Amino acid sequence: MSKGYEILSLDDLEPLPGNPTGGGLLLPLRHTLGLRAFGANAWTAELGRHIVPPHEEESGDEELYVVVRGRARFTVDGNAFDAPEGTLVHVTAGEHREAIAEEEGTIVLAVGATPGRPFERRGWDDVVVAFAHGAAGRVAEGRTVMHDLPDGEASWVKPYNLACYEARFGDRDRARAHLDEAIARSDDAREYAAHDSDLDSIRE
Amino acid sequence: MKRAHVDELDRVEMDDGFVWRPIRRRFDIRAFGVNAYSPREAGAQVVEEHTERQLEHEEIYLVLRGRARFTVDGDEHELGPGQLVFIRDPQLRRGAVGLTDDTIVLALGGKPGAAYVPSAWEPMFYAVPLMREERWDEAIRIHEEALEEQPDHPALLYNLACLEARGGRRLDALLHLKRAAELEPTWAEHAAKDSDFASIRSEPGFPA
Repeated sequence: MSKGYEILSLDDLEPLPGNPTGGGLLLPLRHTLGLRAFGANAWTAELGRHIVPPHEEESGDEELYVVVRGRARFTVDGNAFDAPEGTLVHVTAGEHREAIAEEEGTIVLAVGATPGRPFERRGWDDVVVAFAHGAAGRVAEGRTVMHDLPDGEASWVKPYNLACYEARFGDRDRARAHLDEAIARSDDAREYAAHDSDLDSIRE
Repeated sequence: MKRAHVDELDRVEMDDGFVWRPIRRRFDIRAFGVNAYSPREAGAQVVEEHTERQLEHEEIYLVLRGRARFTVDGDEHELGPGQLVFIRDPQLRRGAVGLTDDTIVLALGGKPGAAYVPSAWEPMFYAVPLMREERWDEAIRIHEEALEEQPDHPALLYNLACLEARGGRRLDALLHLKRAAELEPTWAEHAAKDSDFASIRSEPGFPA
C-alpha cells in the first residue's frame, strides 16, 4: 500500500458467499485494492451454478465481463452463447444478463461504472466482506468495514446494515440503536426489518 | 451486447514492440478505460514504459495468458495468468515485457473522482498503422472523429496538424497547429523542430 502499487493473484482472494443478488462467490477485488475509479470484482462458482446472477444494472452501469479462467455460458437478453477463457462480453445497463460456470475453477472478472459520472462505491461488496469477517469470528474487523461504508443515497440504509451486522455477529444493544436510527430516518427501514432474518436475534 | 475473444481483437503494432488490442474502442465503452496488449514476440515490450502523471489514472494490469515481467517504480515482478499489478500512484513509472509469444495483458484505468473521458492517445495509436502506409486521409478522419468529442484537445489538434501537413492540406494544418499552440504554447516549441511541418514551416503565421 505504501509503495503506491500492489501485486495480487486472483487466487489469493478468499471466495465469499453472500452476494445480495445471488449467484457465485465473490473474489473481492475492489474492496481489497481500494479501487476508486471504477468497479472491478471477480467471481467464481461451482460447476453448473450461476457465476453471474440474472440481473440488469438499475444503477446505470455498463459492464464488461472477462472470462479469466475456465468457461461460462452467458445469456444476454435471451441470446445464449459459450464463453471460453479469454472471452469479453460488454453489456449495457438495461440488458438482462446471467452466466453459468461450465468448468470447475471458472473465474469471471466484472468491470463496471456509469458513463458520464465519477465512480462511487456503493458498498454492497464491502458488506459481503464484513459479513464474512463476522461469520469467521473476526467481529471487530467486520465492524470496521461496516462503519467505513459509504452513506449512500438513502440515509437509512447504512444504519440498517449496521444493525443487521451487530444483530448477527456483534452486540444486540448496538444493533437496536442502529435500527432505531434507521427507522427514525425512514419508514422503509421498519418495513424491511419486519421480515429480515438478519434481525431475528433482536426481534421482540 | 457485444462480445469478442481476445484473439479476435484488432492488432495495432506500435514502434516500441508492443501490440495494442483495442477493447474500449471496439465496444464503445464510456465509463472506464480498458484495453489488451500483447508483445510482438517473446521478449518484446507488452506494456509501454510510462507514467500516468498527465491522465492521473489508477491502473490494473491483469495477465490473462502467458507471462510478463513488470517493472514498477524500478521493482521487477514476473506475473502469470490471474496475477495483476494495481498501480494507485500515477507518478510511478511502469512497463512490462512479454516473456512468451502468447502473452495477453488486460489493462484497466480511470481517474478517481472524475467521470471517464476516452483518452486522446487511443485515436493517435489507432492511426499509427495508417501513418506508416501514408494513408493520411484515413488517419486524419480518425483524429477528426476524436476531436468531435474533445474539440479543444491540444495534442489531438497538434497530431491532426501533422497529418494534414504530411497529407498536403497546408491551410488546415496551419489552422489546427495555431489552435493547438494557443491552447498549449509548448506545442509551438515542438512544431519548430518537428519534421512533419517541413512543408509549412516557412508559411506566414506558422506558430514558432
